[in-house]
Amino acid sequence: MGTVVSIEIADDLPDPQLGELVSSTCAWLHEVDARFSTYKDDSEVCRFRRGEIALADCSDDFRLVLDRCSDLWRDTDGFFDAYAGGPLDPSGYVKGWSVEVASSRLLAAGSRRHYISAGGDIRMRGAGPGGRPWRVGVRHPWEADKLSWVLELTDGAVATSGTYERGAHVFNPRTGTAASGLRSVTVVGPDLALADAYATAALAMGEPGLAWLAKRIDEGYESAAVTDDGRAFTSPGLPVAS
Amino acid sequence: MRRSTAAAVGTLTGAALILGVRLSVQPPDAPVATAPVAQEQDQVEPEETGEPAPEATSTKKPSGNKKTTPPAEEEEAGLKAGTYKGKAVTNPYGTVQVTIKISGGKISSADATYPTKDFSGTINPNAVKKLSEATLAAQSADVDTVSGATFTSESYVQSLQAALDKAGA
Repeated sequence: MGTVVSIEIADDLPDPQLGELVSSTCAWLHEVDARFSTYKDDSEVCRFRRGEIALADCSDDFRLVLDRCSDLWRDTDGFFDAYAGGPLDPSGYVKGWSVEVASSRLLAAGSRRHYISAGGDIRMRGAGPGGRPWRVGVRHPWEADKLSWVLELTDGAVATSGTYERGAHVFNPRTGTAASGLRSVTVVGPDLALADAYATAALAMGEPGLAWLAKRIDEGYESAAVTDDGRAFTSPGLPVAS
Repeated sequence: MRRSTAAAVGTLTGAALILGVRLSVQPPDAPVATAPVAQEQDQVEPEETGEPAPEATSTKKPSGNKKTTPPAEEEEAGLKAGTYKGKAVTNPYGTVQVTIKISGGKISSADATYPTKDFSGTINPNAVKKLSEATLAAQSADVDTVSGATFTSESYVQSLQAALDKAGA
């Protein structure tokens, strides 16, 4: 799957260092792509799928991703399923995880203020432009040029899953049919990989996902959701801009 | 994940730089548009405004003051003042029923009953009431980035890359 990644760095750093930060981030994301792509025959995922490498011989990252996927399968009552489409496809975790790692590496390399957006799933750190929080719009699920909410964050992640862009690409594993009931789910929390997985799982659950999302609040994950018939739900701690 | 550099190249502009494609940033002060609105108005039961009727088997809980949601600015033409009880919707955790009050053609409050009995030990009985409902509002605002479900085709990415190449980015 093609995904566009945007990086914005707000630190007051010399240009060469900024260029290096971006280059190293891109290199990492390409490395992840080479190892986890389901489209590249020589990726670790594809070789593992074909049984060419045993789990024990896989990279630490690969085993970590698989562990997290099975944790999520359990924590989402099976609604997050890296095997939903048949063969292993950990993309739903890898995207958020790779951005989390990229952001941590940026921090270690001296960038305290940045965001990375991978196809509309965003991890940000520190203050945004002008020292204010980053302002993140949540796309309106029917009007592409409008927003449903504007969020303000300094450190944290925002992930949105919806049925509006790709049609029925999220399936309810219990019924085997396309997810319905919720049109858009946004999850805000400390970790992008979890926020993304939670948003996708809730979308797959349909309206029962609202109650499930409510239980994530105690873990630090706030949410906003829109039903197929246009009702909007928000958790009380959602960082909505005033 | 492919072609992740596509948007991660750009122009260096001074100390605070912007690298890459800015997602659609809305102009400020654009008019607020109305959004699809779906009121749960089945079984409408107009009542006197005031205390909504208590439920026999569940406890009424306030759903919050909607302070975390955008103000409802839609013109709810045809909404009559009064209190309306929505359809009781059953989910795996019980039954939820929303009561709304209408005044001045707008929803002035929305409360809901939530199941408080018969929860299994694994379910936090306080959890289900934590998501408060409002009507969806569409707005435009000045933002740094947009979160949304995206499907970026390979061809789109390739085209974007080509354009960036042409631009010498």
